[in-house]
Amino acid sequence: MTLVRVFTAILLAATLAACGERASPPVVSDGADSKAGKVLRLTFQVAETGFDPVKVSDYYSGLVISAIFDSLLTYDYLARPAKLKPNIATALPRITDDGKTYTLTLQQGVYFTPDPAFKGLPHNRRELIAADYVYSIKRFLDPKNRSPYAFLFEGKIVGLDKLAEAAKKSGRFDYDAVVAGLEAPDRYTLRIRLTEADFNFSHVLAFSLVGAVAREAIEAYGDDTNAHPVGTGPYRLQRYMPSSKIVLEKNPGVRDMFWHAEPGDNAADLQIATRMEGKKLPQIDRVEISVMDEAQSRWLAFQRRETDIEYQLEELAPKFMTMDGKLKPEYAGQGIRMERSVDAEIIYLFFNTQEKIGDKPNPLGGFTPEKIALRRAVAMAYNIEDQIKIIRKGQAIRAYYPIPPGVAGHEPQYRNSIAYDPRLANALLDKFGYRRSADGYRQQPDGKYLILKYYSSPSERDRQFDELMKRSLDAIGVRVEIHKDRFAELIKLANQCRLMMKHATWIADYPDGDNFMQLLYGPNTGQTNSACYRSSAFDARYEKSRRMPDSAQRNQLYREMTRQMEVDTAWLLTDSRYRNVLLQPYVIGYKKSAVNAAEWMYMDIGAKEPR
Amino acid sequence: MTAYMIRRLLQFVPTLLGVVLLVFMLFNWIGGDPAYLLAGKMSNPEQIENIRRQLGVDQPYYVQLWIFITQVVTGDFGVSWATNEKVSTIFATRLGPSLTVLLPMLIVGTLLSMVMALLVAYRRGSLTDRAIMIGCTVGQSISILVYIIVFQYVFAFQLGWFPVQGWGQDFVTNLIKFSALPVLVGVAVSLAPDTRLYRTFFLDEINQDYVRTARAKGMSESRVMGVHVLRNAAIPIVTHVMIQLPALLAGAFLIERFFSIPGIGREVLLAVERSDFPVIKAVTVYVALATLIFNLLADILYKAVDPRVQLK
Repeated sequence: MTLVRVFTAILLAATLAACGERASPPVVSDGADSKAGKVLRLTFQVAETGFDPVKVSDYYSGLVISAIFDSLLTYDYLARPAKLKPNIATALPRITDDGKTYTLTLQQGVYFTPDPAFKGLPHNRRELIAADYVYSIKRFLDPKNRSPYAFLFEGKIVGLDKLAEAAKKSGRFDYDAVVAGLEAPDRYTLRIRLTEADFNFSHVLAFSLVGAVAREAIEAYGDDTNAHPVGTGPYRLQRYMPSSKIVLEKNPGVRDMFWHAEPGDNAADLQIATRMEGKKLPQIDRVEISVMDEAQSRWLAFQRRETDIEYQLEELAPKFMTMDGKLKPEYAGQGIRMERSVDAEIIYLFFNTQEKIGDKPNPLGGFTPEKIALRRAVAMAYNIEDQIKIIRKGQAIRAYYPIPPGVAGHEPQYRNSIAYDPRLANALLDKFGYRRSADGYRQQPDGKYLILKYYSSPSERDRQFDELMKRSLDAIGVRVEIHKDRFAELIKLANQCRLMMKHATWIADYPDGDNFMQLLYGPNTGQTNSACYRSSAFDARYEKSRRMPDSAQRNQLYREMTRQMEVDTAWLLTDSRYRNVLLQPYVIGYKKSAVNAAEWMYMDIGAKEPR
Repeated sequence: MTAYMIRRLLQFVPTLLGVVLLVFMLFNWIGGDPAYLLAGKMSNPEQIENIRRQLGVDQPYYVQLWIFITQVVTGDFGVSWATNEKVSTIFATRLGPSLTVLLPMLIVGTLLSMVMALLVAYRRGSLTDRAIMIGCTVGQSISILVYIIVFQYVFAFQLGWFPVQGWGQDFVTNLIKFSALPVLVGVAVSLAPDTRLYRTFFLDEINQDYVRTARAKGMSESRVMGVHVLRNAAIPIVTHVMIQLPALLAGAFLIERFFSIPGIGREVLLAVERSDFPVIKAVTVYVALATLIFNLLADILYKAVDPRVQLK
C-alpha cells in the first residue's frame, strides 16, 4: 500500500506540474480551431531563439520577425533576381549627395499592434513614425544588445559609431542623443547620411531584421523582448512556447495592403499572380509553427496532413523525388506540389593564403608559384560531383561563381577556370617539384614533409566530407590530416587565420553581390575572410565596386575579381543547395522568398478536400 | 531517523561540489567559446570581447567558479545565453511536459514489468518463461531509435491511432492524445530489461526459506507470490525505479525530439548544441540533486516497505 501511496503522490505532483504549464501564458493550442479562420500549419527544423530583431541571427527567428515587424523597403514577391520595392516607405529612397544621403517618406496611419506597453494611448496602440526607425537602427549598435547584425550599420552612418563608443565607456547607450546621420526631420521623414557613398544601402533598409520596434515596448519588456515582439506587420504573436510552438494571428489593425507582384516569364509565377492579384493581405488568419527537429516526424506529419508546408527534407529527398528532381507520381497524384529553388548561398572550400599559421609555416599559404600550384592542384583534385551526388544526395547544384542565383550580380554563364582533373593536378605538382617519396605521398619542393590539415566539425555530415577530402587528395599523393573541433572553436580559429583548409557556407543576408564579394576583401580578414586572402588587385576592384549601384560596370568588376581569386586560388567554389518545399494541394501562392523572409502574408489557403 | 537524514543531507554538499567542479572544468576545457557563436556571421575582436565581458567568461576561472557556486546556492542560474530566457522559466515550463510523459511511462512500465516478471519467475523453466526471456533478450538488443521510428510509422502514420507528433495546451489532451504513443514507446523499450531484472529479484525471493515455510503452512500461491515474494522483492525494485527517475528526466531527449514534446531532455540537447552554459549548468546540478534526493527517498522507502530495515 505504501508503494501505491508513493506512486499516487508522484502522479499528483506531475499533474500539478503539468497544470502549472497551462497557467503560464506562453503555451499553444494544438490547432484546428474553426473560429480561427484560415490556418497555415508548418514546421521549423531548428528551434528559434527569439523575436527581438537586434538580438537574433538565426534563419527561423528571422522568418517570424519578418512577419511581425515592418522594414522600410521590401522585395517583390515574384521578381527574380530580387527587386526592391517600398514597404513602409511610400517610395524607394531618394539617394542624393553622390550616394551618401538616403531620404525616405513613411506611410501615415500605420499602427503598432495594441499592447499594454502603450497604456494610456487610445486602444493601447501608437502610430509608427520616423523616430521609431531612428531608435530601431540605434539599437543595433547598443553594446548591451550585442547584436549579431551590428555590422550592417557599423562605420556606415555619420555619428552613430561615436555614440556606440561613448556607450562602451559609460555603460549606457544614450538613445536621446542626436546622431547627425540619423534624423527624423518630421514625423514621417527619415534621413540617413552615410560616411561614404553606398548605392546599395537600400538592401540594408529592406533587411527583415531592420524593422521598426516601439521604444515603449522595448523598455517595458526589458530583458524579455525576445518573447514580446510588438510590431506593425501583418501578424502578431498570439502564443509562444519557446523552442516548441509559435502561433501568429493576423494583426487586426494591419494597414490596407493588396497583393501585387511582378511575375516572371514562367507558368508557376503566372498561376500565382492569377490567383492572388488584388487580394487583401494577409489572407491567412493564423500561422501555427511547430518546431520539429526530426526529418522523419516532419515527413510523416506532412503526409498525414498535420502540416501544410514542409520547408526542407534534404535527408529524405529520395523518398519523394525522382532522380531528375521531380516529385514522385504517387505524391503528385495526391495533389501535393513541390517548389524547387536554389538557396541564395554558396558553399566553398577555402585555403589559408597566409604564409604562416601561428608561428609555423603554412605549406598552402603564400603567393609564390609553387604555393599557388599546390592550392590549384588540391582544387583540381577535389571531386565536387561526388560531393553533390553522395553527400548532398543530388540536392545541390554546382557553384561556379561567388554570387549565387537570385542575387544581384550573379553570372549564370560564368564558368570557373579550375576544373576537376586529377591527372592534370598530378602533372602540376610534378612540374613544381612536389616529388613523391617512398610511401607514395609527395614532399614539398624543398624536400620537407608535406601534410595538409583539413578542419571539420564532429558531425555525421562532416565525416562524409572528411572521407571525400582524403580520397581526393590521395589521388594526387598529398597527405591530409583531418582535424575535428566544435563549431564555435572552428569560427574562432577561422577568425584567427589558423585554419589551413575548411569548407564554409555563406547564406545571403540580402540579395546583393556585395554581401558575397566582401568574403574575399583583405580588410575583412579576421571577420568573414576565412582564407585571409589579401590581394591588392582584388581589394582595389572591390573598393571601387562598393561605390557603384547594381550595374553592368559593377558586374564587370565582379568578374575580374572572381578571375583574380581563381588565379590565386583562395577558394574552390563547390555548390549551392536546393530547397525542396512540399505543399499540400490547398496551399495557394507559395514562392520561396528571395531573401530570408516569411512568405505567409502573400499566400492563401483553399478548400481542404478529403483525400 | 532524523539523525540519519541530517547526515545524508550533509553528504549532499561534497557530492554537489564535485559535480560543480567537474561540469565547470568540462565546459571550460572542452566546450567552445560561446562568444563566437553569439557574435553572428561578421564580428570583430572588439565585439567578441564585449560578448565575453557580458557573459562573464572574461573573468578569471576562480571568479567564474565562485559565481557558479553562488548560483547553485541561490538556485538562480541567470538567463540562457542563446535566447535570454530565464533558466528558471525554462525549467518551470519544460518540467510539466516531461513529467506528463515520463511518469505514466514509468508507472505503466514498472507495473507491467513486475507482473510479467512475477509470472515468468513463478513459471521458471517453462516454455512461457523461456519464450518471454528470449523475447526480452531480443527486445533489449534493439535501439530505442528503432522503436521510435517503427512505432511512429506504424501506429501514427499507417494506422492513424495517434498523432505523429505534437503538444497541446491542456493537460488532459496532452496526456491522452499526445503522450499516448511516446508512453507506449517508452514502455516497450523498458519492458524487456526491466522484466529480466525483476525476474531475478523475484527468483531470489522465491528460493528463500520463508516462501517454503509459507507454502508448508498451506498459504495459497497467490498470497505467497502476491504478498510475501512481491513485498520482499520490492526493495531492489524501488531502488531501481528511484535511480532511473532523475536520469529519465533528461535522458528521454530522443522521445521528446521525435514527438516534439517541449520537455527538459529536448531543452538539454538544444543547450548543448548552442553551448548554452547556464542551462547546461542548471540541468547538471538539478539532475545531480535529484539523484541524491531520490536515493535518499529510496532508502526511506526501504523502511516503509520492510520494517526490519534499520537506517543508520
